[in-house]
Amino acid sequence: MSTEAASPHDEHEGDHHAHPKWLAHHFETPAQQFDADKLGMWAFLVQELLFFSGLFVAYGVFRSWYPQTFIACSHQLDKIMGGTNTVVLLFSSLTAALAVRSAQVGNKKATGRFLLITIACACAFLVIKYFEYSHKIHSGLLPGYWYAPHDIHGDKPLPPNGHAFFSIYFMMTGVHGIHVAVGIGVLLWIWARNRRGDFSKEYFTPVDLVALYWHLVDLVWIYLFPLLYLI
Amino acid sequence: MASHSNSKHEGGGHGGHGGHHDDGAVHAHISSVPFYIFIFAMLLVFTVITVGQSYVDLGKMNLLVVILIATCKASLVVTFFMHLKHDNRFNALMFVSGLLFIGVFFTYTMNDTERRGEIDETSAVWVLPKTGEHAPGGLDVKVQEERRAKMVKEHAGHGAAGAGGHEAPHGDHHPAPGVTTEQRH
Repeated sequence: MSTEAASPHDEHEGDHHAHPKWLAHHFETPAQQFDADKLGMWAFLVQELLFFSGLFVAYGVFRSWYPQTFIACSHQLDKIMGGTNTVVLLFSSLTAALAVRSAQVGNKKATGRFLLITIACACAFLVIKYFEYSHKIHSGLLPGYWYAPHDIHGDKPLPPNGHAFFSIYFMMTGVHGIHVAVGIGVLLWIWARNRRGDFSKEYFTPVDLVALYWHLVDLVWIYLFPLLYLI
Repeated sequence: MASHSNSKHEGGGHGGHGGHHDDGAVHAHISSVPFYIFIFAMLLVFTVITVGQSYVDLGKMNLLVVILIATCKASLVVTFFMHLKHDNRFNALMFVSGLLFIGVFFTYTMNDTERRGEIDETSAVWVLPKTGEHAPGGLDVKVQEERRAKMVKEHAGHGAAGAGGHEAPHGDHHPAPGVTTEQRH
């Protein structure tokens, strides 16, 4: 991908296509490059979905095998924190979409601002997640071997096979959390490129693609939140 | 829907980057800011509904309702935030076929895990843990009955011979049923 500044040449006449710096030489037109870029990104996103689906299938199998365990253990999760994180992620999805829109209309300043808000939300999400995790670790609500519940909510003791739930909980939220952390990285990268002036009305593809990735992270959380917290 | 009144097209192309009918420039659909905020508001409404629903016990419908609400939210995100509505249709096709394969993954896996029998301790035949009926597949009932007779005989032998028989295999390689049968419902 070209990292050159976006300054399309004004050579619309003549036999040769205008070939701005951001247009790779093997593409005929910006539209062709845009389509190819998006196709590649969607292939990656579908792969991500299939990758996450393994965890969702594990969830389905174990929840069906141990429904009571899942209900009991789910009540140990904090709905308020999970709900807050849902709103934070949804809002960051909105700002990511608005960042793309700003890039589409060529408003560089607004693009940068929206990207920063998105990054801030991503960080807030991880901070809340950190508090949740430390609480779980404190109460011994851990996967497999480390499962030793104490200081838990409610009077009823947790079932002995609760480690199955917490294995799935930590795996799903953990892998999702890694995606959030990666998202912060790529959003920062795009923010820096935007500041450098790489993007324009004619060329905003990287902003679009990174936003697509960010929406996917949101998409996975949309399912994780009710399935883990709201049983 | 509101999407049409709240959004405008730039450059006159309607999702027009699929063909070469124009100058080759990118003519992506641009939705208005209020429209995006409207979608966000809808997502918030669905979030409030799903959290509220979690305080109401709908029994077996719980999971279905939860998945339904989440899918509504996901559809909004995919259609509008991720631009699939105005995007090249091929991207939507890829996305939907991905979902299809996830469905295959779920169906085939759970078709197995939901129908696995377990050895019932008292009758020594394969049963479905949820219903107690004979598990489909595997050994037929006659063979199972023979095994049962053998198992009963072995247990009787152990009783007479006293201790020392703990290492004796049950005659099959299936996992011991004891713990899991009790924990499952």
